[in-house]
Amino acid sequence: MLQHVFNGLVGGSFLALVALGLAVIFGMLRVVNFAHGAIYMLGAFGALALTGEAFWAALVVVPVGLGLLGMVLERTVVNRLARLDPLYNFLLTFGLTLVLQDLVKWRYGVQSSPYPTPAGLGGSVDFGLFDFPAYRVFVLVVAAIVCFGVWFLLSRTRLGLIVRACTERPELSAALGVNVGRWVTPVFGFGVALAGLAGVLAAPMRAVHPLMGADLIIVVFAVVVIGGLGSIFGSVAAAFAIGVLQALSEAYLDSALVSQILVYVVMAAVLLWRPSGLFGREESPA
Amino acid sequence: MRKIALLCGVALVAAGCGGGGPSTSGGGKLSDDKVVFGVLNDQSGVYAQLSGKNSIKAVELAIADYKAKYGDKAVAKNIVVEAADHQNKPDVANAKAAELYDRKAVDAILDVPTSSAALKVADVAKEKKKLYFNITAATMDLTGKSCNKYTFHYAYDTYMLANGTGKTVTDQGAKSWYLVYPDYLFGQDMTASFEAAVTKAGGKVVAKDPAPFPNASGDFSTYLLKAPNLNPKPDVLGTMQAGAELVALVKQYNEFKLREKGVGLAVGLMFLTDIHSLTPDALAGTTYTDAWYWNYDLRNREFADRFFQATGTRPTFAHAANYSAALQYLEAVQANGTDDADTIVKYLEGRTVEDVFLRSGKIRAEDHRVVHDAYLAKVRSSKEVKEPWDYVDVLKTIPAADAFRAPSADCKL
Amino acid sequence: MTESSALVAQEMAEAERPGPEPRGSALRRNARWLLLAAAVVFALWLPFGLYPAVAVEILCWALFAVAIDLLLGYVGLMSFGHAAFWGTSAYATGLVAIHWGLPFPLAVLCGALTATVLAVPIGYLAVKRTGIYFAMVTLAFAQMIYVVANKWSSLTGGENGLQSVPRAITDNFYFYYAALPIVFGGLFLAWRIVHSPFGRVLVAIRDNPSRARALGYAVHRYKLMAFMLSAFLAGLGGGLFAMGHRFVSLETLHWTTSGKAVIIVVLGGIGTLWGGPLGAAAIVRLEDWLSFSGFEQIGLVTGGIFVLTVLLFRRGVWGTLFKRR
Repeated sequence: MLQHVFNGLVGGSFLALVALGLAVIFGMLRVVNFAHGAIYMLGAFGALALTGEAFWAALVVVPVGLGLLGMVLERTVVNRLARLDPLYNFLLTFGLTLVLQDLVKWRYGVQSSPYPTPAGLGGSVDFGLFDFPAYRVFVLVVAAIVCFGVWFLLSRTRLGLIVRACTERPELSAALGVNVGRWVTPVFGFGVALAGLAGVLAAPMRAVHPLMGADLIIVVFAVVVIGGLGSIFGSVAAAFAIGVLQALSEAYLDSALVSQILVYVVMAAVLLWRPSGLFGREESPA
Repeated sequence: MRKIALLCGVALVAAGCGGGGPSTSGGGKLSDDKVVFGVLNDQSGVYAQLSGKNSIKAVELAIADYKAKYGDKAVAKNIVVEAADHQNKPDVANAKAAELYDRKAVDAILDVPTSSAALKVADVAKEKKKLYFNITAATMDLTGKSCNKYTFHYAYDTYMLANGTGKTVTDQGAKSWYLVYPDYLFGQDMTASFEAAVTKAGGKVVAKDPAPFPNASGDFSTYLLKAPNLNPKPDVLGTMQAGAELVALVKQYNEFKLREKGVGLAVGLMFLTDIHSLTPDALAGTTYTDAWYWNYDLRNREFADRFFQATGTRPTFAHAANYSAALQYLEAVQANGTDDADTIVKYLEGRTVEDVFLRSGKIRAEDHRVVHDAYLAKVRSSKEVKEPWDYVDVLKTIPAADAFRAPSADCKL
Repeated sequence: MTESSALVAQEMAEAERPGPEPRGSALRRNARWLLLAAAVVFALWLPFGLYPAVAVEILCWALFAVAIDLLLGYVGLMSFGHAAFWGTSAYATGLVAIHWGLPFPLAVLCGALTATVLAVPIGYLAVKRTGIYFAMVTLAFAQMIYVVANKWSSLTGGENGLQSVPRAITDNFYFYYAALPIVFGGLFLAWRIVHSPFGRVLVAIRDNPSRARALGYAVHRYKLMAFMLSAFLAGLGGGLFAMGHRFVSLETLHWTTSGKAVIIVVLGGIGTLWGGPLGAAAIVRLEDWLSFSGFEQIGLVTGGIFVLTVLLFRRGVWGTLFKRR
């Protein structure tokens, strides 16, 4: 039982990192980045391009590189649509997803590419009641640190104060002399980097292929609707909760259907009961 | 400015709209005075490597061999290969198949991976009364309830895969099994066949778990955690996952160190290209059933060398089967002096055939299943790999008579 | 959200603002009839110039696109999960035709009605959210339907799909003309909806939901109605798609199918109705051509065109060519 819960938390880590990036970007720009799944995929392929030996380097270089790519995208295209309805950016990033997927397909083919477990993490960790592959423990630890770090940054530092102010009261912040526009690009880049990090972490334990992000992003969408997209804490909490629920239903129920539709059923229930998400704030009437 | 740019774009698309019209067939013994193959497969998706463009090359090798063999006496002087990408989508396959038969005057469609697409093309072949050799789809419906006069099923099917691996591995002492399968028709069929084969050989399936399909997370850890703790502990984990999911599962199997914990691995469906992309070490020791192996004997090797010259890779069994189907079709045209579909079907039915792919081959008249020897293979570790692509040891030849199921009563040609 | 919905309204409505017809000159009105006549002639000619199976496909996607446009252009709701209705109708149509042997127009109608019924629970939940949330919620629900259909293989045939759906008119050339009245019917229905008092309320809700609510309109109920009508139209298209191919696959329920429909609408022009068929013809024809051309990266081309459209031609082909700002 305990090992399945633990395993669910590992699965939830990926959902959490991607959802966190999505929520951070949404908070600042009101843009839902459809390409987040594709970025996750690029993260994994980025790790692949740097080859297995350089996993530790990839862990730093790839997210940073993708973050820069994100900033470029923000400057060149996302920004152009910033004044329009956010749906246009949703559409734009959807189109980008198709393009990125096919570019990777072109270069690497659709076959999965192998990626070894990084040196030093091949063993397992003994928890007394059960032992667990060390790499998975590592993934969970990294995800937890990053999620906590982002929360700390946003709620306890001056930087977070500014970002939150820009997020919640952009006009007022601007009137008080905060240069809102200055923060948009780095925040977008940071959100993209988080998805890239999730991708790098995924490479050694999952199949690396061009469509790996496409299916993930839909689940993440459901997760952030459950948690409340505006709420960073909500998104992360929902991601881990869904991860655990999925692992438990896979382990103890005889049907794969339940674990697959679980996230959508929960989403439906949340919409019925609290349309703005478990931790989201009420939308102004729309 | 924008308007002009856009108008140009629209005009270009509109210009592309022309050029339709049905093609007319000429007189003579050969329709259009030529033989046209249509290779319809996945050229960009998950099956692009194991069949894809290299299947076209395989068909071209068959054409070259035919021409070399008959020279001036060849009935078919003008042989053309048309290709189309069905993207593994049955609706695209449907449209492309009809288009190949109607507009490109194709006499025989070859390959067609993905069961849903394969079955759809069988329908089209039946309607157009044109030949269709399916190579790369696994569904038994092609020789079961969806069989028809113009459709032949080459290479393999779920029964062959499951029966070969399930029976042989159990015979070798792995009595208890834990089966994990993707929860869709292919996986369900495979699991049923596997369980039957294992039970018949005196083994037992301890547990079987359907895994989500498509598996968005690519995570199979739940089942891998479960495997060593089952009671009784299974000797072998049988996985029916294919393609990317197989890759993920094997990766995680190694991560959870199941082999060290005494749980072996048997794979339902695997291609040479899967081993190549996963690296042999990830799969070392895994057993699976192969329809053909390039380095099995000198005859195969010779073909594989020619294939290598043309493509830079070694052939999978799908490539060899495409070669064989094209060659046997041309031989039939040669023997009958015509490419009339009904004549060719009549000629092929019940024939025993032998070529580089078909060993002890027979084209069954009852259901158009092409039966032949199959092989149980075991993946080598990288230390044992002496030359690139030579990844497996053939443990055993499964004779043609045992490799495939008896003709199904569901099939009415 | 309020300011941004006002923006939606501006941008999305800039193509066309259905409202009282501007008393345009007689010339303009005549031009409109001429255009309609030209479109009808083009539709009648299409299977002569194009492979008939491709022509049938264009008809189906045209209906699908118009269904999406009805929601997106006139209610301001972007559904990214309409494959749920297109696919459900395709399966229902196929099953009805296989098991009951109904003639194809009736089977298609059954399919479309099934899709409409499915739209009730999904719509009820989805219209609680707007904007981007609506897109994500519909996408997620559609994925759920996909998973269920995949699993329920005794009914749907799983990944083998529903094979051999019977059809009396076997030749696609003639089937095209048999399907054409249904498509015209669907398009006329969409046109009627847009130009009815109901349609005007929808536009009012899109432009200013608070005001519409203050005026006493039950906003959610209107949106749900529109959602169901849109599902019906998508269902008509999906049913025809099933009959056209004489089989149904899981692909019809996949999110990429929803995505393709959205691409078609945006390319054709949001809020124009005309844009849907135009975009359908362009995209279907392009994909057909690409799949025979040997260039494999279809997503690269359609995705690239789509990105350019969103960046530069937000009003779509129709909006850019035929509408004045």
